[in-house]
Amino acid sequence: MSDEIAPHLHFQYASADHQSDTAIVGMWLFLATEVLFFGGLVLAWMFCRHWQQAGFDAGGRESVLTIGTINLVLLLTSSCVYSSGLVFIELDQPRRLMQCCIVTACLGLAFLVLKSWEWLIDIHEHLFPSMAHFKIIGPDEGGARLFWSFYFVATSLHALHMLIGIVAVCWIAIQARAGRFSAKWATPVEVVGLYWSFVDVVWIVLYPLIYLVGRGT
Amino acid sequence: MSIGHRHLLVSWLALLFLAVVEFGGSLIHFDRSLRPLLLLPALAMVALVGVMFMRVQRGVAPARGFALAGLVWLLLLLGLGMTDPLTRAVYHVRHDITGNAAR
Repeated sequence: MSDEIAPHLHFQYASADHQSDTAIVGMWLFLATEVLFFGGLVLAWMFCRHWQQAGFDAGGRESVLTIGTINLVLLLTSSCVYSSGLVFIELDQPRRLMQCCIVTACLGLAFLVLKSWEWLIDIHEHLFPSMAHFKIIGPDEGGARLFWSFYFVATSLHALHMLIGIVAVCWIAIQARAGRFSAKWATPVEVVGLYWSFVDVVWIVLYPLIYLVGRGT
Repeated sequence: MSIGHRHLLVSWLALLFLAVVEFGGSLIHFDRSLRPLLLLPALAMVALVGVMFMRVQRGVAPARGFALAGLVWLLLLLGLGMTDPLTRAVYHVRHDITGNAAR
């Protein structure tokens, strides 16, 4: 294949399709390891809640449901917008892709701003698990502290992944503006899209664990 | 609007619907041990994102293999991890005032 058709083709690949498939398979392998990474957190939640149900639920009832729900909608929308960008580049419209990336990054930033605000509220409410004057006292205190340990570890790790995703989406926007992508070459757009949707998937799972299960008991 | 965009819009609306179902379900009072069932709409949302946004079904065979492997590893992790707590019988022991177990 000539350089005009596939300027990004590296020498070790037989064709542009081979290179593209390899990149996408590599990202799926990485996501499989990420599943195990976050799976450990889910296991911790299941294990701790099994032994400390009342305390865990008491902790969950103190979470800020409004912000968590808004953040869920923000992330679902951002995944949809980014995927729209992928469809646009398949229709050879790089400018539209760039616009979609900017909207996606803004939604991601809005998520992080709201999450930071939520953390401040939580700390102000004396819900940080190592605080001497923890908000929940009595027999449920131990379980509630465990819940809030899970909460801060899980949301921090997720926010870190969000931050990396926002940087990647901004990079795609810059590359799209420079005209680096077209209907024939959009593999990086697809690879970053997989990562962004995975971050969305993690929040879809964390949302009921943090905000919903403990309520209504 | 292209067909691709129309499919994405429908998927987004379906995701919002599932989120509403999940949220509505959380308002219903039911037994504490059954509350994790609230994760069921979330699992449907994950499947929808995987198919519509991540296009797992359109990937080459190794990509689909890794996606499946991730799922299998997760099930093994959660299944084996919860085997002990879910099968252990807890016997409550009375203690006297000195802290020794009473016969």
